[in-house]
Amino acid sequence: MHFSTLEFATKSNKMKNLKHIFNSLLNKIRPIFSGHYIAIAGLIGFSFFLLVAILAPWIAPQNPYDLMVLDIMDGLLPPLSKLGNGTTAWLGTDALGRDILSAVMYGLRLSLFVAFVAVSIGTTIGVILGLLAAVKGGWVETIIMRAVDLKVSFPGILLALMMLAIFGTGVDKIIYALIIGVWASKARLTRSQALSEMQKEYIDAARISGIPNWRIMVRFLLPNSIAPVLVMVPMALSGAIGAEATLSFLGVGVPITEPSLGLLIANGNDYILSGKWWISIIPGLVLVSLVLCINVVADRIREYNNPYLKSKDQ
Amino acid sequence: MKTTPLLEIKNLTVTYPYGPQGKDELKALDQIFINLSEGQISGIVGESGAGKSTIGKAILGLLDPPANLVSGEIRFRGNSLVGLSEAQFESLRGNQIGYIYQNPMTALNPVLTIGEQVIEAIEANTNMRGKNAQAYAIQLLKRAEVSFAEDRLQKYPHQLSGGLCQRIVFAIAIAAKPKLIIADEPTTALDVTVQKSVLQTLIKLSKEEQIAIILITHDIGVIAETCDYVYVLRNGKHVEQDTTNNVLQRPTQDYTKSLMASVPIIEKRLHRFPLSEEAKLKDASTGLHYLQEKQSTQDSTHESLLEVHNLSKIFITPSSLLKAKQLFTAVKNVSFNVMRGETVGIVGESGSGKTTIGRMILGLEDITDGRVIYRGKDLKELVDSAERRAHCLSMQCIFQDPYSSLNPRMTAGENITYGLRVHKMINPDKAKSLAQDLMALVGLPSEDAEKLPHAFSGGERQRIGIARALSYRPDFIFCDEPTSALDVSVQANLLNLLKDLQEKFSLTLLFVSHDLAVIRQMCDSVIVMKEGEALEKGSNKDIFESPQHNYTKSLLNSMPKFNRIDLI
Repeated sequence: MHFSTLEFATKSNKMKNLKHIFNSLLNKIRPIFSGHYIAIAGLIGFSFFLLVAILAPWIAPQNPYDLMVLDIMDGLLPPLSKLGNGTTAWLGTDALGRDILSAVMYGLRLSLFVAFVAVSIGTTIGVILGLLAAVKGGWVETIIMRAVDLKVSFPGILLALMMLAIFGTGVDKIIYALIIGVWASKARLTRSQALSEMQKEYIDAARISGIPNWRIMVRFLLPNSIAPVLVMVPMALSGAIGAEATLSFLGVGVPITEPSLGLLIANGNDYILSGKWWISIIPGLVLVSLVLCINVVADRIREYNNPYLKSKDQ
Repeated sequence: MKTTPLLEIKNLTVTYPYGPQGKDELKALDQIFINLSEGQISGIVGESGAGKSTIGKAILGLLDPPANLVSGEIRFRGNSLVGLSEAQFESLRGNQIGYIYQNPMTALNPVLTIGEQVIEAIEANTNMRGKNAQAYAIQLLKRAEVSFAEDRLQKYPHQLSGGLCQRIVFAIAIAAKPKLIIADEPTTALDVTVQKSVLQTLIKLSKEEQIAIILITHDIGVIAETCDYVYVLRNGKHVEQDTTNNVLQRPTQDYTKSLMASVPIIEKRLHRFPLSEEAKLKDASTGLHYLQEKQSTQDSTHESLLEVHNLSKIFITPSSLLKAKQLFTAVKNVSFNVMRGETVGIVGESGSGKTTIGRMILGLEDITDGRVIYRGKDLKELVDSAERRAHCLSMQCIFQDPYSSLNPRMTAGENITYGLRVHKMINPDKAKSLAQDLMALVGLPSEDAEKLPHAFSGGERQRIGIARALSYRPDFIFCDEPTSALDVSVQANLLNLLKDLQEKFSLTLLFVSHDLAVIRQMCDSVIVMKEGEALEKGSNKDIFESPQHNYTKSLLNSMPKFNRIDLI
């Protein structure tokens, strides 16, 4: 009993700690959004999509990957139709009799997963390379920055198409392709930020004190030059979602067995002229609103972090 | 008989909203009154945050939102300026009231020639056009004492020095024969030798053209040189007003008295600044023990701690496709010795290479030529890494800009002890208490070690910087203009602290400054530098009382002088 109370005590302490972290996070977020109703709406919309994506396997009426539950007789039904097994297909079905609502939920899940993974890995790589270029200088900087120039000189979609043509399709392959699209601009931004930070005297102070270069990078440069990169992350996220959808629509993205939003739109493309609009339009609307929500939030964050816009704004 | 004053300000109150919903108000100006008659030069003096510049902006209707003119009257030649429309203000600005900015280099448009800018001002405010305007422009430049006025018209601002640019700004300001000029820190960006002649031009223009001038400045020396009448402001509140002589020599208010006591004087060297309220070093603090531990292990015989032999620095801009290789000699063949426990000052104007010398000594900059011998050893000859580290760590630096010399993402305490922890010279628990002790030692509350740098003022940050330097128990500290960014009263406090610390721990200081008076107060011997060369070396007394070199003499002559009562 003594034990359990102790355990309980540490648990409640942990809870308190979590609550404290949550509260301080809330206090940081509040001034960004207070009074900006469009941004709040975007945030709510994005949270809704995120929640749906995470909970899709539990809340979707049907598992679209399970061919056993599909019935070809239910194919191409308009929204609100009754299916053979007695359930309602709220958003209709596609040619295979797959429930569009479930397919969209799973597609959303895949699209968001791909974009999140690609953006976080791409940003991490970009930040590390940018910091290295700034601190090391010399040939290290030359190689990194020329690689950035090379990447930026290609249209992103062309580069991704080339990548996928070489490596084939697949969820992992499209993540690699998107990472290549993300890292370069982050590297460039981090480097320019880090270079201006390096002019400041606290870096000199660290160097006088014999603090090794990697520590200067991690403890001095990174926390002081990361802010503008983080502001760019939501923008990169919506960009990656769009790029993934484009590639999947073109048929070089995710495989047909794991449909993302882009692939769902492509699937319905053949039927749209025959009046079966819901197969394409519904995933399309979800895609547009998702990207819109993220962009509205991203815009507000950027505005909040830009001191020039801020003074006019208030 | 009473005539209407040129400018009359009564009960002027300006507030800024702040806080989360803008519910709180900061009073930038609180019930300010000013009277100015024609042709009079009045000074507004105060430290940062006194609201000096806000007055100038309020007169011209240039208050940026969210600033709010709550109440008060501003009358210019009898007409109220409060609540005028933007169009009405526009006809007033430049035409009847001129404005001179702090930095002449940014006040002029870099892509237009001087001629175009002066003529533009003439055409905007007078009926003169073409040849007439050109001739008038030359005449204006001559009145503002710009040499080679005709040639200057073709030049761009970046081709001229700061002093010349400021004269051109004067010429533009007087183009429309205004009755009033507001000069906001007109000489702060200029070197001391230029400052004096620029101020004299300003006085001459005021006399000749019967222009009244409001001179806004933090520099009491500038006030003493130029103004007939002074208003002293503090935190937006009126403190004192009187003729310049009365304010400087017989201040009645405590604030003015302490302000005067804080101004470093050049006439004689004081032991410390006679400040009434300041934090004295606490003898019992543990920080003191930490620093004295090391002291006892060392012999304190008089020897030279630092020898600099024929030091030179050449900066090379590598050749590129369009430009050949460029060499810039920042330091030329400078040699000097610093004895243990001594303070050596390097004084010179901007670009004289004084900071570069320090950076080479500290190893932040490669040495082009020459040797630096510290504690009898040259860093280049040290092979053992522990020895190298000890060598380097015992030389520390106090930086110029308090706003960039601390890592903004570390607490004050972490800033102070981070290096020690990296080198495993202290364990984390001890580091915490050491940071607190050192904070207390430099006169800050020890619990503030938990705060981030942005919670501190400039002077407080500079103290944290000193604590960080002290944490390594250095023998030698390079002070790179440590007070040039600070208000004069904060400066006096900080310089007293440095003197106390030096006495307690027999520190050796190399003190760089452009301010002769600060050097006079702080240093035992002085090196005068110009364009990378050491022109004159000598003891404090020799340099300031019997200077040999002409440049030293001209530096000393251009220092603003004023008589003040002996407050000591």
